[in-house]
Amino acid sequence: MNESTLFLIAFILYIIAAFFYFAFLFSKKDTLAKSGYTFAFTGLIVHSAALILRTIESGHAPFTNMYESLSFFAWSAIFAYVLIEGKFKIKKAGPYLMLIVIGLMALASSPLMPKEATPLVPALQSYWLWLHVSVTLLGEAFFAVGFITSIMYLVADSKEKKGQAGKSSLTAEKLDSISYRTIAIGFPLFTLGGLVFGMVWAYKAWGGYWSWDPKETWSLITWFVFALYLHTRIVMGWKGRRSAFIAIIGFLAALFTYFGVNYLLAGLHSYA
Amino acid sequence: MKSFLRLFSSVKLAIVLLIIITLASILGTLILQHRSPAEYADRYGDIANILIRLEITKLYQSLWFSSLLFLFAVNILVCTLSRLSPKLKKAFQPKFETEKKKLLSLKTKASFKKNQNLEKTRDDIQQTLSSKRYRLKTKEEENRVFLLARKRNLGLFGSDIVHLGLLIIILGGIISGWGGFRTNLNISEGESIPVPQADFHLRLDKFVTEYHPNGSVRDWKSTLTVLENGTDVLSKTIEVNHPLSYKGFVFYQSSYGWNWENPTLEIWAKKKNEPAFLEKMELGLGEKVKLGDENIEITVLNFVPDFIIGENNEIATRSLEPNNPAAFIEGWQDEEKVFSGWIFAKFPDFGRMHSDIETDLTFELKDLKAAQYSGIQMSRDPGANFIWVGCTLLMIGLCVAFFWPPREIKVILEESQNKTDVVAGGIATKNREDFQSEFDNVMESIRRLK
Ligand code: HEM
Repeated sequence: MNESTLFLIAFILYIIAAFFYFAFLFSKKDTLAKSGYTFAFTGLIVHSAALILRTIESGHAPFTNMYESLSFFAWSAIFAYVLIEGKFKIKKAGPYLMLIVIGLMALASSPLMPKEATPLVPALQSYWLWLHVSVTLLGEAFFAVGFITSIMYLVADSKEKKGQAGKSSLTAEKLDSISYRTIAIGFPLFTLGGLVFGMVWAYKAWGGYWSWDPKETWSLITWFVFALYLHTRIVMGWKGRRSAFIAIIGFLAALFTYFGVNYLLAGLHSYA
Repeated sequence: MKSFLRLFSSVKLAIVLLIIITLASILGTLILQHRSPAEYADRYGDIANILIRLEITKLYQSLWFSSLLFLFAVNILVCTLSRLSPKLKKAFQPKFETEKKKLLSLKTKASFKKNQNLEKTRDDIQQTLSSKRYRLKTKEEENRVFLLARKRNLGLFGSDIVHLGLLIIILGGIISGWGGFRTNLNISEGESIPVPQADFHLRLDKFVTEYHPNGSVRDWKSTLTVLENGTDVLSKTIEVNHPLSYKGFVFYQSSYGWNWENPTLEIWAKKKNEPAFLEKMELGLGEKVKLGDENIEITVLNFVPDFIIGENNEIATRSLEPNNPAAFIEGWQDEEKVFSGWIFAKFPDFGRMHSDIETDLTFELKDLKAAQYSGIQMSRDPGANFIWVGCTLLMIGLCVAFFWPPREIKVILEESQNKTDVVAGGIATKNREDFQSEFDNVMESIRRLK
């Protein structure tokens, strides 16, 4: 069993999970959602094995090129979903999350992404890299879940206002609160990984903890958006639609930090 | 003063500032920073001047951006302080609730009767709440008891710890900006140089480059020695990510290069149609060497490590890597230049002499040596330690704010005819759903206790 086979198996399991989840969405049969969850969870385990194998084979942490980092991001998204599902029971978010995961896995497997594990340039040989990237992506994975629950909130809210809501237990109010709780996990993780560990690593490697390079700046922008989310909510009591919009913008900013900066803006972080 | 405090304690101002700072930061990633005026004129045309005038071309270092950050810091400070004393009061001088009506108006509440006397009921409740890690206070009156149960009081101050951390980080940034110093040093093996802005010298004892099997660089290692008044005090081998620190200065391995100013070239001369080499010479730039018993002297006039013919047909070097080393040599006979031409280490057949006399001499650039230097970035950053302290507080504060939610349960007990009326209310600002279920559980088990 090598890494790419395991990766492929995980990918297939995620696709099957998505299939069950969408069947659940249309038929409303709980057993289908359960099967979807089982497949997603099995996929997560196989995927973990793939990541561990890759680490052993290449001798460094598995996020040094775009293929590796996309694969890890997909893993984190499922991981975050499994945690949030365990606590808040949001199976309806499953289908959409699986879509994002499949998108990430498909991008990772696309022929455009170089897959070979190449030796690291000296600056990347540091365990701070490992901590920086893994914790940041994990935080962003929680933002992804918050993004989905925020969109679901907007849909549920407009349905409830029109009086078309079904008798689902996942009310708009509950979705709003789940979004907040999810972001409350993602925010500390993102702060620790993206900002704190990033500064420590930059200081160790280059002697300056902050240099306003575009990727750094966009991490800060993402962080500001979520700080805005927290303060408008806690202090000014914004809830519901406005909160949901800020959460959505925040995740889009995180995505731009992750993809857009590499392809549209130039800077230090051009490797991953 | 009052209106100043009112303005800066407002969260609305914070939100406005946050939005402006965010938009400005975005602008700074769209407009290239720190380029030459010519490049801006080229790229942005007419608005280039405006961009430069408004300091958008060095946005993050501009006065207006720094002022925004400063205002933001003042905002955090005033806002946090102005809310601190009511919070402290709440945490350390909590009030009992004596009116049942107030408790019953809360969202999280319970009221029931127990068929037992006041003391027994009070003990039951105390025991149940203690087992859930609540700390209790009681106030007793004739046939009435007031209970105040609280836990995770520290949770009230999570945001204050976060804000304090942020202030220290901003302070660290200001100190770095004022007192920080960074520069690059190129040192050759064996060389010792005075460290700028410091009272000691630095010597490079050894420099090695390590490679991966595929030829790419794995690491650079420099063995550095610190000298104070000419005597060695400290030696350390640094590599990327493993710097040397001394007296507040930090030395980082950042790059390497060759000193191409004065290379030693090995040149072999040969006669056409003769297999044997005529002469093997080693010479530096400008040096003259007599070629065997021919009446000819050879000299190297120019050298480039990475030969390229530039736009106006002038010779240049593409990089400082020895990708295509080339030397320009001349032959002299009786004080007269008789031939000249470029020879290439990688393309021995390519070299051709322009000659005034009949000659069957050819030359090959066989080898070249140049001193390697180690590129070391040095910095002194007195703000860095503030940053780490601030980051630690920031993270502690975030964990407290999000994962240590304070809880408060107030209970009023009233006895009449050997039965006890229980009225309870719960207050939580965070994770209310979790609190509600904990509250319900607690009340249910109190009700069941016999
Ligand atoms: C980027 C900068 C800032 C960050 C990262 C930050 C972070 C936080 C965090 C994490 C919380 C706790 C939120 C929660 O419990 O859900 C909080 C609360 C709060 N922040 Fe900030 N803050 C920032 C700037 C400011 C500024 C400038 C002000 C002042 C105007 C401010 C005023 C407040 C207030 C009043 C609270 C609520 C306090 C409480 O009830 O505990 N914050 N902040």
